[in-house]
Amino acid sequence: MITIDKVSKHYGNFQVLTDCSTHVNKGEVVVVCGPSGSGKSTLIKCVNGLEPFQQGDIHVNGTSVGAPKTNLSKLRAHVGMVFQHFELFPHMTIRDNLGLAQIKVLKRDKDEAAEKGMYFLDRVGLKAHAHKFPGQLSGGQQQRVAIARALAMDPICMLFDEPTSALDPEMINEVLDVMTELAQEGMTMMCVTHEMGFAKRVAHRVIFMDHGKIVEDDSKEAFFANPRSERAQQFLAKILQH
Amino acid sequence: MFGSYEFDWSSIPGSLNFLGQGLMVSLEITALAIVAGIVWGTLLAMARLSSIKPLAWAAAGYVNLFRAIPLVMVLLWFFLIVPKFLESFLGLPPGSDVRLASAMIGFALFESAYYAEIIRAGIQSVPKGQLAAAHALGMSYPQAMLHVVLPQAFRNMVPLLLTQAIILFQDTSLVYVSALADFFGAAYKVGDRDGRLVELVLFAGAVYFVLCFAASQAVRHFQKRLQGA
Repeated sequence: MITIDKVSKHYGNFQVLTDCSTHVNKGEVVVVCGPSGSGKSTLIKCVNGLEPFQQGDIHVNGTSVGAPKTNLSKLRAHVGMVFQHFELFPHMTIRDNLGLAQIKVLKRDKDEAAEKGMYFLDRVGLKAHAHKFPGQLSGGQQQRVAIARALAMDPICMLFDEPTSALDPEMINEVLDVMTELAQEGMTMMCVTHEMGFAKRVAHRVIFMDHGKIVEDDSKEAFFANPRSERAQQFLAKILQH
Repeated sequence: MFGSYEFDWSSIPGSLNFLGQGLMVSLEITALAIVAGIVWGTLLAMARLSSIKPLAWAAAGYVNLFRAIPLVMVLLWFFLIVPKFLESFLGLPPGSDVRLASAMIGFALFESAYYAEIIRAGIQSVPKGQLAAAHALGMSYPQAMLHVVLPQAFRNMVPLLLTQAIILFQDTSLVYVSALADFFGAAYKVGDRDGRLVELVLFAGAVYFVLCFAASQAVRHFQKRLQGA
């Protein structure tokens, strides 16, 4: 589904990603972790072309992200993305947040878009809030709306960029529950997250990044039982202490 | 010297109709300059923020040029040059009265430079993640700007845009250089005719004050409501 092939990226002299290669199969859940500044968010943003890269290429469902001919808008319309800070549109109701791209990008008619939006809003348990504005919801609720907004586009895969790191602790689980459910239904997912519990429960594979490089790329069993690199061992020791 | 001056306001009541027409001209120029200034200013602001360098430079050049020239000079150019250009371009008979059109164009071009800067700041006040989220949903750049970024930018800018509109209304008095009977021009003409310039200019000043003060109070009220919401 997603193939990342020797991707490198730099800002001027600063190397952000070096020679990153991996793949995500259909129906697979891959968790990307690593210390802050390791390039994991940048890597996931390269997958749908939000961040350009200078070397290598990424293919999503056979379409090259790096090729200048590729219609990135068309590709992104079917690759769902969830952001750290939710990025709901604050000047629109929840209903319109869910409908906008369906209507403008997928050219669905208003009724169809509203129906689809309500279906996914119901699935994340927020149907009663359709008429509200994002500012009236809690962080956890906003992030669930953001997930519903992405799902309403009928994505072929979902990218999560630290979806719980801006949330208060008591709201993290409601978001992780939605993600877990999604994974169990067979959605292809690539998640940047520090939630190792989620990774242990849900992921098939774990990628560990450090200094812009993919240091480990292994099944979750192998990663948690026996991390090969010293850097990953240190990282796990720190993060699992709590 | 003022002690011996005797005020005579008697020429005002009979001229109210003429002065009212002048006020309409001022308001017309203001309204058109606001609309054109916002539309053209938005395009300039987007060009200035564009990653296409020549476009950004051209827009920056335009904005810096117009912001560094006194308005009265721009209006004079448009009074001297544009009417001739319009005559030949539109095939109008020589001597057609295109002063109003000319003043409006001059104003719109000048004010759009100021609006462009306000709008640029407004666009930059919208978090970058909003554009990224719109892109991630498959929206093109124009779609993302139109539906996501600009509505939020304009909401943040409303008080500044209204304040600029009040300044603009005051600036319209400068079109008197083109002998156009805007409100100030009309007042000046009446005062000149009746030898009562002092009274008429004081009267015009009072009217500008009342209108602009009332408008700025309304903006303040509006701003408070916006912050309260």
